Amino acid sequence: MGWVKSPIHKRAHQNKRYNTATMLQFKLVLLGDSSVGKSSIVHRFVKDSFDEFRESTIGAAFLSQTIKLEKHPDVTIKFEIWDTAGQERYKSLAPMYYRNANAALIVYDVTQPGSLVKAQSWVEELKNKVGDQDLVICLAGNKVDICDEDATAREVQREDAQLYAQEQGLLFYETSAKTGAGVSAIFQEIGERVYQKKGMEVPSSTQARKPLNVELQRPSTNDSTSCCS
Amino acid sequence: MTKLSDVHDYGSSKTKSRNGGLSGYLASKSPSVPNLTQTFTTRSMKETSPERAGYQQFGSPLVEEPTNLSVIDLYGDEDDEDADDDEDADDDEAEGSQSTSGVIADLPVSSTESPSLEAPNAFGAAKDLSQYDRYGFKKQTAHVSQEEYHMWWDQYSRYCIRRKRKWQDLLEKSGLAPSNDVPDRFPPRSEKLKRYVRKGIPAEWRGQAWWYFARGQEKLNKNAGVYDKLLEGLNNKKDKNNCKDLEVIERDLHRTFPENIHFQKDPKEGQEPLMIQSLRRVLLAFSVYNPKIGYCQSMNFLAGLLLLFLDEEKSFWMLVIITSRYLPGVHNVNLEGVNVDQGVLMLCVKEYLPDFWQRIIPKEQSRSNEFLYKLPPITLCTASWFMSCFVGVVPIETTLRIWDCLFYEESHVLFKISLSIIKICEQELAGSRLAHRGLRARTHGRDDDDIEVFQVIQTVPKKLLDPQDIFDRIIFKRRVPLNNLNQEEIDRCRKYVTSQRLKFKNCAEIMGDRTSAKASAKRDLEIGPDFVNNALSSEVYGFRRSLTGAHWNNSIKEKVRQIRRK
Repeated sequence: MGWVKSPIHKRAHQNKRYNTATMLQFKLVLLGDSSVGKSSIVHRFVKDSFDEFRESTIGAAFLSQTIKLEKHPDVTIKFEIWDTAGQERYKSLAPMYYRNANAALIVYDVTQPGSLVKAQSWVEELKNKVGDQDLVICLAGNKVDICDEDATAREVQREDAQLYAQEQGLLFYETSAKTGAGVSAIFQEIGERVYQKKGMEVPSSTQARKPLNVELQRPSTNDSTSCCS
Repeated sequence: MTKLSDVHDYGSSKTKSRNGGLSGYLASKSPSVPNLTQTFTTRSMKETSPERAGYQQFGSPLVEEPTNLSVIDLYGDEDDEDADDDEDADDDEAEGSQSTSGVIADLPVSSTESPSLEAPNAFGAAKDLSQYDRYGFKKQTAHVSQEEYHMWWDQYSRYCIRRKRKWQDLLEKSGLAPSNDVPDRFPPRSEKLKRYVRKGIPAEWRGQAWWYFARGQEKLNKNAGVYDKLLEGLNNKKDKNNCKDLEVIERDLHRTFPENIHFQKDPKEGQEPLMIQSLRRVLLAFSVYNPKIGYCQSMNFLAGLLLLFLDEEKSFWMLVIITSRYLPGVHNVNLEGVNVDQGVLMLCVKEYLPDFWQRIIPKEQSRSNEFLYKLPPITLCTASWFMSCFVGVVPIETTLRIWDCLFYEESHVLFKISLSIIKICEQELAGSRLAHRGLRARTHGRDDDDIEVFQVIQTVPKKLLDPQDIFDRIIFKRRVPLNNLNQEEIDRCRKYVTSQRLKFKNCAEIMGDRTSAKASAKRDLEIGPDFVNNALSSEVYGFRRSLTGAHWNNSIKEKVRQIRRK
C-alpha cells in the first residue's frame, strides 16, 4: 500500500550504489484451518524461532518484518502481517483482515487432508470477495518435517496441491516452520510478486483499487509518489 | 477435593509442614456457601466418583477431581507467606496484632528461592521450579525478563501480604473469619469491599471469592447433577454435533498454557496431565450444554485459568456464567457479541480518549456511526481482550486482578481496563512520536503510523507486569474520566450498538438485493458514507456525563460563590 520513495537512512549506507532505496509496505494476511501452523510460520519468518506447543491465536496477532528482495536489492519490503485465528467461526471477522490486503498466505497441514479443503474454501472466499487481480495468493503446505521423518504421515501429495494451485493461479510452497524449510522463500516470492504487481500498476492502478478502499481510504499527505492518493 | 490422596500425590514430595498446609487448604476448600457442605458430601460419595472415574473415553485413566487444589501453594515465591497462613487460624490473630512493618520485615520475600522443592515431586525432576511463579506460569516471557520479574515481585509480594492482612481484618470484623484460612463467605457488597476487591483478592482465596461474587453456588444449586450427567452423556454416546467440537477442542488442549507447569507432561511418566484431562471434560461438557456456543477458541484459556483456582465442576459453571452473563454472545457461532463489544469499546474510545480516536479514525468517518458496523482495524487486536478476558493479553497477575474485579463488578470492568490500557498505549505512542519527530515527518506515512499503533497496542499490554500500572495509576484516580463508566452505561451502550449494527446489516441487505449478484458479494465493501448517514440519521449515542462534570461543576460552584460574595 505504502509507496514511499524516500531516503532510508539505515539502508542507505548499506547499498551505497543506490542513493535512494525503495521502501514498500505490504499487508499480508495468514489464513487457514486451526493448528496448521500459521503462527509458527510467521514466528519462523519474523523471529526465526519455533515452539513445539504454541498457544492458540485468539482473534488476530499483528507482526511486521522487513526484507530486501533478492532479485532487486534496492527494494525493501515491510510486511504488515495479520495472523488470524483458524477456527471456522472466526471467518466472520475475516473481512476485516483481508480488507486492503496485498497478499494472502493460505496454509494447510500436509498431514491433515481436511485442512486442504479448508484452504480451498479460503481461496474461493478471497476470489469472490476481493478479486485476485489485486491480491497475491500463496498456498503453503506446512509440517513437511513430519513427512521427512515418517513418509506415511503424509496425507496430501505435493503434486495434487501443486496442480490445484496452478489451476487457481496461486503461488505454491511446501514448508516446515519447525526446520524453517521454505519459509523465507515464500516471503521472498510473495514480496517479488507484489512488487511486480504494484510496480506495474503504480501509474494506472489507483482506480482499480479504489472501490475496495472506500472506508479505509485516508488522505496520503506524505509524498507525491504515494500511490494511494 | 473428594480424595485427600489425590492431593497428597501432588504434595508427596513436600516437607511435612507443606503437607499439613495442603490438607488444611484442602479441607477449607470445599464449602463455599453454607448449604454446599451437604450437597458436596452427597455428591462426592454417591455420584461424583463413579461417573467421573468412569469417563474414560480418551483412554487415559482418570483420577476424579484431580486438579486444582494444590496449585497455588505448591511451590514458588510465597512459600514462607503460605507457611505462615497454613499454620492455623490462631496465627491470623497474632499476625493481626503485629505492626505491619514488623510483619513484613519477618517475611523473606526473595523471589529467587523456591524452598521445599529440592525433593523431586510430580514435576520437579526435570524442571527448575524457580523459573515458575506461584501459579505454575513461567516467570520469564517474551516481554518480561526474569530480572524484571524479580524486581517487581520483590515489591508486589509485600503488597500481597499487606492486602491479605487487611482482608483478614475485614472478615474478622464482619464475623466471617474463616476457621481454616480460606473463607467460604464474604461480607455484603459495599464500597469498601469493592475497593478491597480492586486492590486484589488474596491469591489463595481467589477461587472461593470468584465463586462467591459470581453467585456460582446459586447456579450450581439450580443445576445440581447437570455436570455429571453431561459427562455421563459424553461417555456413552458420541453424537455428531459433539464430535465436531471434539476435534477442535483436542487440537487446543495442548495449546492452552503450554508454558504452565500444570499443563505440561510429566517427563517421567509421560502421561497426560490431569489438568489437560479436566480441561477436556469441561470444554466438551460445555459444548454439549450450550450448543449455541459449542466450543470457541479462547474458551480454552478461560476454562484453563478457572481450573487453576476452582475444581472442575465449579470451573464449568463459572465458564457458563462468564459466557452468558459477562460476555453475552461473544463466543456464539457468529461472534456477533464480539463485534458489539468492539463497537461499544470504540464508542467509549471516542468519548473518553478523543486524541487516540483521531489517530485510528480519519476525521471524515468520525461523524457517522459507520464505524460501528465496519469496525476499525484496531479492533482486530482488541477483540481478543474480551474473548479471553485478558488471559494471555496481560501478564498473569494483572489478568487475575482484572478477574477479581470482573466477578465483583461485572463486564464494564473489561471496558474500563481496555480503555486504561489504550490510555497507556497512547502515552507510549506520544513518547515515541516526540523522539522521532524529525525523522518521522520525512520518512513515515500513514501506514507506518498504523503499524506503530498496532504494534504498541499489542506489545504494551504484555509488559504490564505490575497490575498497579493500571489500577493505581488509572482505575483509582477519580479524576480520570473513563472511571465514570458503569455497568448501566455499558448495558445501554451494548443495546444501542446491537440495534445500530442490525440497522446497518438490514440496509446492506436491501442494497444487496437491488444490485447485481456480483456486486452483492462485495456489498459490505461498497456502502458509501452518504447512504449510511441517511440510513442512520437517528440519534447518536450520548454518554451520561453527570459524573464527568462533577469536578468541573464544583469549581464552577466555587466561582459562583465567590462572585456572590463580591
